[in-house]
Amino acid sequence: MARRRITRLLGLAAVAALALTAGCSSSSKSTSSKDTAAKPVTLTFWGTYGNGGNKAQTDALSQSIIPAFEKANPNIKINYVDIPYDSLLQKLTTSAAGGELPDLVRSDIGWVPKFAALKVFAQLDGKLASFSTLSADNYPGSLATNKWGEHYYGLPLDTNTRVLISNTTALKSAGIDAPPATFDELKADAPKLAAKKISVFADGGLQGWNVYPWIWSAGGAVTSPDLTKASGYLDSPASVTGVQLLVDLYKQGAIPNLIIGNKGAVQTSDGLPKANYATILDGPWMAAIWQGQYPRFTPTYSQVPAGPGGSISVVGGEDINLTTASKNPDAAMKFLEFTQSSDYQLAMAKTGQMSVVKSLDSQEASTVPAFAPYIKQLQTAKPRPSVPQAPAIDTVLQNELTKAFQGKESVQDALTKAASEIDPLLTATK
Amino acid sequence: MTALVDSAEPRVQPAAGGAGRVRRIPGRRARSNLTAYLFLAPGFLLFLALIIYPMIKAFQMSFYDWNVVAGATSDFIGWTNYQQAYHDPVFWRALQNSALYMAFTVPPQIVLGLAVATLLNNKAPGRALFRVLFYLPVVTGWVVVSLLFQYLFADSGLVNWMLHDVTHLTGHDISWLSGRWTGMVAISSLGVWKGVGWSMMIFLAALQGVPKELLESAEVDGAGRWQRFRAVTLPAIWPAAVFVTVMLVIGGFNVFISVILVTNGGPADSTQVLLTYMYQQAFTNLNFGYGASIAVLLTVGVFVLSAIQLRMFRADPEVLA
Repeated sequence: MARRRITRLLGLAAVAALALTAGCSSSSKSTSSKDTAAKPVTLTFWGTYGNGGNKAQTDALSQSIIPAFEKANPNIKINYVDIPYDSLLQKLTTSAAGGELPDLVRSDIGWVPKFAALKVFAQLDGKLASFSTLSADNYPGSLATNKWGEHYYGLPLDTNTRVLISNTTALKSAGIDAPPATFDELKADAPKLAAKKISVFADGGLQGWNVYPWIWSAGGAVTSPDLTKASGYLDSPASVTGVQLLVDLYKQGAIPNLIIGNKGAVQTSDGLPKANYATILDGPWMAAIWQGQYPRFTPTYSQVPAGPGGSISVVGGEDINLTTASKNPDAAMKFLEFTQSSDYQLAMAKTGQMSVVKSLDSQEASTVPAFAPYIKQLQTAKPRPSVPQAPAIDTVLQNELTKAFQGKESVQDALTKAASEIDPLLTATK
Repeated sequence: MTALVDSAEPRVQPAAGGAGRVRRIPGRRARSNLTAYLFLAPGFLLFLALIIYPMIKAFQMSFYDWNVVAGATSDFIGWTNYQQAYHDPVFWRALQNSALYMAFTVPPQIVLGLAVATLLNNKAPGRALFRVLFYLPVVTGWVVVSLLFQYLFADSGLVNWMLHDVTHLTGHDISWLSGRWTGMVAISSLGVWKGVGWSMMIFLAALQGVPKELLESAEVDGAGRWQRFRAVTLPAIWPAAVFVTVMLVIGGFNVFISVILVTNGGPADSTQVLLTYMYQQAFTNLNFGYGASIAVLLTVGVFVLSAIQLRMFRADPEVLA
């Protein structure tokens, strides 16, 4: 009798287990509703505003920006989900595989072509009525990161670039009055700082974000203007000069091996305030980080050291994208439009995210004076090639250039090899 | 094997004789079997859903240019992913590094684990405390200890401080995580430190099963400490030693968390192991087909290696005895 009861219980347990697994697969479809006008809809929005414990941005979003949008659009609720920056790419990928995507994503500008090619992000031009008006007011470099093929798969959300940030105390200890403004000044400062055991410059990698400013400032190029070829551009004599500058300094010991990916080296965010490093290239988010961790450190901002090609930095930032899985694209597009308004852009600017809307330029500069060096640098900054294989291009650069830094290859050979590996990645369609 | 079959046969025959009993027994057996199956069912269903299905799926993916998006079509490309692996220098380096990690970590874990277990098997004060201390790294999370070792082996970390500033064993600070060999040393020492407690635990349990009478009679016969260990203890714990070796080799090839956190496979893929490379291909480059083919190759490799080990170790106790 007892055994029969146990058997029955087990049977029930097995049925329950089956029901559970079945429930998992069907629950996802329950949220669908077509009639957006009548019923209130909830849009899920994934972003990385809170990265590094940055509460100022998530607070601005949840306490003022989203409530303002919801007040103007009573039928739409925004459910913002903050995801750590390092896991968003993976989460997007696995969610795309599982068909469990949010409606809106604030994605790194480097990922958009990949997800556009995978048909995860939806085309906006021709679908969003106000697209041409809105995009006309965006910085071209930021807008370009949304283009894949002939169409646009998002709108710029925020932008940034790298400028030279210096520790003037470190510079002064070596008798240097001002941050290096040119390649030559950087070279001349290196031995003076080395005598005080300070690295003249430090960076955390050899990817496009890290080395393109030096290549462009040297007068070099990364690809052909139509983004189809790196050979002949990335390995041109001018491009070689830019990288050679860094390699020479590295070999003198004036740049630490953090740049080749030594995870045991002092990070730039610590090394600059601690005066291990005199200068670094970094973005507008650093100010808030140092305010918290090194309140006594006063960073000095200046333009990327100029070479024969001028002072040219790299464009960073985020785009906002609508996913093809969204059940409420019309409502989501209303939020997309809202992100381009001054209510959104200037509120976010106050928390450290630079605006992508040209017509808000002067308002932004007066609201956040600290952005001035970045706004100036952005006038000439260039975007990285916007292609689906962008992550693979970065891997090639990091690996080939490491060999040049380690002295295993000449800079010319490393760049020629990298360019030949990058050529097929530029034209890859997914 | 043959002896077993011979002795089993006579037992089967009488059952065929009594017709009445035969009919009832299968009924009861079927019911008791049903109970057993029901007990097995939840675990087996989970095993099917979470282990077997993903394995088959990964095997399938390895023959495709896999499109990750749900419902999208993927192109069948045959052996292309495997050919890519064959021609990929980073794949071979990752394989070498995985093998290297195994070679650096498995023997020390066995020797140290056995040594610690032998010491802690004696009645000594504080024995329980030491057992806990040696086992503590095993139950501590990989992420925690990996970050800890990254700090220890940092350029201005404790290891350099000990080697250079305190003992002057090295003339300058070593940049451990910036080179392939020094990086592998850091990762491997983490593996050994974290793993010794586990092999110690298995060996301790096995040592409890060594017959005391045999040890005593060997001692009466004049066998020394080492002879007793070699002739009595070692054969008795041999099955445990085989188990530990096979599991450690499998674990060694599957090293992942420590590498991705301590060096992230860098600089320039120099400390890449198979699983970190697979992860990079799949989740950074979204090249799931190629990633899956690396996973399949790893599985085949580990399977073959385990089969060889089991075959090799089978005859050994007699040789030792």
